[in-house]
Amino acid sequence: MADAQFDSALDLLRRLNPRDTKTNLQAITSIVPELTEDLLSSVDQPLEIRRCPQTNRDYLLCDYNRDGDSYRSPWSNEFDPPLEDGTVPSERVRKLEVAANESFDVYRELYYEGGVGSVYFWDLDDGFAGVILLKKGVTPGSQSSGEWDSIHVFEATDRARMSHYKLTSTVILHLANKTEALGDMDLSGNMTRQVEVDLPVESDASHVANVGRLVEDMELKMRNLLQEVYFGKAKDVVGELRSLGTLSDANRDRETQREMIMSMQK
Amino acid sequence: MPSTVELASSFIEGAPPGELADVVADVQALTSDGEDIIPSLLPAFKRYNETQLATVKLPGSSQEVIVSAFNELEDNRYFDPESQTSFEVDHTTQTASAAQSYPLESEQADLIKSLLKSFGVHAREHYPNCSYGVYPIENDSAVAIVLVSNRYSPNNFWNGRFRAIYQLPVSASSSTLTGNIHVDVHYYEDGNVALNTTKPVNISISSVSAESIVSRIAAAERDYQEALNRAFVQTSEGVFKGLRRQLPITRQKVEWEKVGGYRLGQDISGGKGR
Repeated sequence: MADAQFDSALDLLRRLNPRDTKTNLQAITSIVPELTEDLLSSVDQPLEIRRCPQTNRDYLLCDYNRDGDSYRSPWSNEFDPPLEDGTVPSERVRKLEVAANESFDVYRELYYEGGVGSVYFWDLDDGFAGVILLKKGVTPGSQSSGEWDSIHVFEATDRARMSHYKLTSTVILHLANKTEALGDMDLSGNMTRQVEVDLPVESDASHVANVGRLVEDMELKMRNLLQEVYFGKAKDVVGELRSLGTLSDANRDRETQREMIMSMQK
Repeated sequence: MPSTVELASSFIEGAPPGELADVVADVQALTSDGEDIIPSLLPAFKRYNETQLATVKLPGSSQEVIVSAFNELEDNRYFDPESQTSFEVDHTTQTASAAQSYPLESEQADLIKSLLKSFGVHAREHYPNCSYGVYPIENDSAVAIVLVSNRYSPNNFWNGRFRAIYQLPVSASSSTLTGNIHVDVHYYEDGNVALNTTKPVNISISSVSAESIVSRIAAAERDYQEALNRAFVQTSEGVFKGLRRQLPITRQKVEWEKVGGYRLGQDISGGKGR
């Protein structure tokens, strides 16, 4: 029953307004409290920002840098509020995490020209795993706003001179617009994609480059996909609901075209 | 803390176009540990149907008629002026039964009949799959004009709804038509993307004749669709571009071997990330 309820909860969240995912998630877990932990770890929500007290730099919060009520800063490796024995990565994986944070900081500047990013790694029995988080918001006019959250979760499993990477990426994109002629327009949602690939690994530095390229390619694909769905598909469906030209003109055009084709076939 | 019925009601009322049955199935699964919750959600179903301008088939007919707060008689009975029929609605299943003849008795009957005719022509020219209605409201002092156009394509993971709801007081010779246009689109293949819009409409009508009212409505709806189409382009070119570039300004992808990972070969201390 619990499995069926979990699937129903995910189905419901996939149908209800994505702008309200947080509220709806709370509502579902208040009806079925047993689902809370599973849902919190599998439903992506817009990321929250916190300032690291040690380095004074912003970092992002998610389930993967949380231990109890504390969050680990990728810049200081310290928990806030402080924890005596918070779970931290092994020395080797922490070195990789530091390097990945530096690399993705450059990536963030190049593609996002601002925003906040954080990378968290953790150990696995046969490799390691991690999450790359990127967030940016813009409010160019008082009447329009946009918010982008990228959540890339990966596992790297050791093979001989190779590593098997499995990447699951979600982008949450919220856009809002308001003008006199337009009224209120809200275009919000999230999309998820997965990829699995084997890549050569010479040293630990290869891991950062491999994951970097995987995320870079995935974000390019997803940005194109989002552009297509948000601005192409949505506009097409509006056109299916209402035709700007008259339908009798459209039918007449189709009829004329049909007659032309018929006459050419004679 | 809100009760389970209140929470489940908000799910029902939040169902996207064409997906009410799916949301109901999810709600039933989530509440399967207790007794059947559906009967206690009846008020939510009714609010959903009236707000979303649900359409029901008249018994023995293929015609779809609207359910709204404007054409409710009493006890879940509604009327349709065009077919001069009243009918009972089961809000949970969105079905109509017990149809009866219901001749329109209204001081605005003539205006309503000519509005139905003119508005019907307009609706059929621009909405491939729509239902509409014109109803006397507020003790016959005003009329409501409503239209709903649905397109459901669940096999392609999208559904859409266009609603237009207008009210016009008809006591004076000139009047002001007020209302809202709503567009709701849901796309849910490998994700969940929703377009929700509300456009308030406010038009002064100098002569209260069916033809002039409908021509002003037609112009407002056209202007709105054009504004919405422009907004898609502007948002794509503006806010969307400002969030994330397609490529870095150099038009080169990141050289990952050179941006930090190279230090892994050197001695770095774990604690200093900067």
